Amino acid sequence: MNAAPAGKGLGPLLLIAPAAVLIGLFLVLPYLNIVVMSFRMPGQGTPYAPGFTFGNYGKFFADSFYILQVVNTLWIGFLTTFLCLVLGYPVAWQLARGNSAFRAVGYGLVLSPLLVGIVIRSYGWTILLGNNGIINRTLSNWGIIDAPLPLMYNALGIVIALVHVFLPFMILPIMSAIQGIDPSLESAARSLGASKVTSFRRITLPLSLPGIQAGCILVFVLSLSAYVTPSLIGGLRVKTMAVTVVDALIDTFQWPFGSALALMLSITGAVVVVAFGRLTVMKWKV
Amino acid sequence: MSKPFLTLYCLIIYAFLLAPIAVVVIASFNSGAFLTFPPQGFSFRWYVVFFNNEVFMRAIRTSLWIAAVTMVISGIIGTMAAMFHVQYAGRLKEAVRVAMLAPLLLPEVLTAIALLFFVYSVGIGTQTMFGMIVGHVLITLPFVFINVSASMESYDPSWSMAAQSLGAGRFTRFRRIMLPLIKPGVIGGCLFAFIISFDIFTISFMLKGVGMSTLPIQLFDYLRTNFTPEAAAVSTCSIVLTMAVVIISEKVLGLRIHRF
Repeated sequence: MNAAPAGKGLGPLLLIAPAAVLIGLFLVLPYLNIVVMSFRMPGQGTPYAPGFTFGNYGKFFADSFYILQVVNTLWIGFLTTFLCLVLGYPVAWQLARGNSAFRAVGYGLVLSPLLVGIVIRSYGWTILLGNNGIINRTLSNWGIIDAPLPLMYNALGIVIALVHVFLPFMILPIMSAIQGIDPSLESAARSLGASKVTSFRRITLPLSLPGIQAGCILVFVLSLSAYVTPSLIGGLRVKTMAVTVVDALIDTFQWPFGSALALMLSITGAVVVVAFGRLTVMKWKV
Repeated sequence: MSKPFLTLYCLIIYAFLLAPIAVVVIASFNSGAFLTFPPQGFSFRWYVVFFNNEVFMRAIRTSLWIAAVTMVISGIIGTMAAMFHVQYAGRLKEAVRVAMLAPLLLPEVLTAIALLFFVYSVGIGTQTMFGMIVGHVLITLPFVFINVSASMESYDPSWSMAAQSLGAGRFTRFRRIMLPLIKPGVIGGCLFAFIISFDIFTISFMLKGVGMSTLPIQLFDYLRTNFTPEAAAVSTCSIVLTMAVVIISEKVLGLRIHRF
């Protein structure tokens, strides 16, 4: 809006001042502080000691346990993202192009899980997947299985629950991308003799790519940093990096090392996201 | 995909999305300790257990209190920032938007870690609720900002100018002209801030002091060691509370909440 109403000078700046202070002081500074913290000396009985070191990163690279855990976390992130994309795309298409009565209800159904806390949704999955859960109890009551199926306390359970938790974040961006495509483009392709499949592959899919990209990046980043779901579903047996980091900070107070772990995970995640962005752009430009 | 097949497929996905939530609600009314299919019988016994559990009741009170405080602070700061964004930001408009949405774009677990270190470094610590409330305000701020900005985009600055030319001061212009027009966005944003704050886990978990567990934390701690449906009764009450806020805002106040 160009025509700013009267009220020049410092007045308008006072409007943004509280938010600027909040974000500057309690978001930007603390994030920079994580980087500083990751170079601090580990303390004995205190979270950290005076002085600086590269040792926290050395400890990360020296122990294959942590590297394997990062690989494991990335793998869970990939799988979750891929499944969300494959499962979510048709729903996004239906929400964008289906008949309107179905659309309103569907939109509500996709959004409503987001209003239920993450602890509750993960708990729901423990009721479904646990050794004493509905699936296992029902199957054994019916005499189909003798021993409970291993659905929880493993990567499979974590991925199922994460797909559920983050599916709306994949559906919504793809939906708005498809809504932005002019339907007459698809009709034009069909009238020129393209089959339904060709029209989808050559018109709809490439044009919805920005939505796919946004959804994939969102879901991937959210899966890497998820704490509650892997912690409740994975139990003590399978730990993702985010769970290890939080436990290192809360239970054992290794702040410098925890910071180094968090940063290594963030850097790896960022590299994957950037590479994914580059790759998808190159692939579709050809 | 053919039409009926696609519809069926979507119904399956919707069922998948709702299943764990439905299961929690059903489990809370199940008389047995483990939920099987079909359920073993209808009972309120887990609600009785829950209502007599002072730990959970205190956690609910703490959560409601924090959500209310967060809503007020976030509502005021977010509305002011949205006013600046739409009316005065000029060339900085996009930068202000990105900065305001930053808490939403950054992983909550990193923000929680960052804040934890910070409150200790500056000597505030977690003896008070300060750190936790700052975290909640940060996370909810983008939602107030999005809602108020959206309702403000249709606000014509010449209305303020007209009021000014008639002698209204700055505060009167805000209270009599702008606020009534952007009220749906402000209330919608505030209610959303309340709901989000009520459900925040990671920030609360990292920044909680001794004896100030919120409901999600208490539930999480309980679930680490227990599997009785008492947790389902607690969860169902929490879901009902959230849904009540949404339904009241949509049906009674006629608001449309902007999530993204």
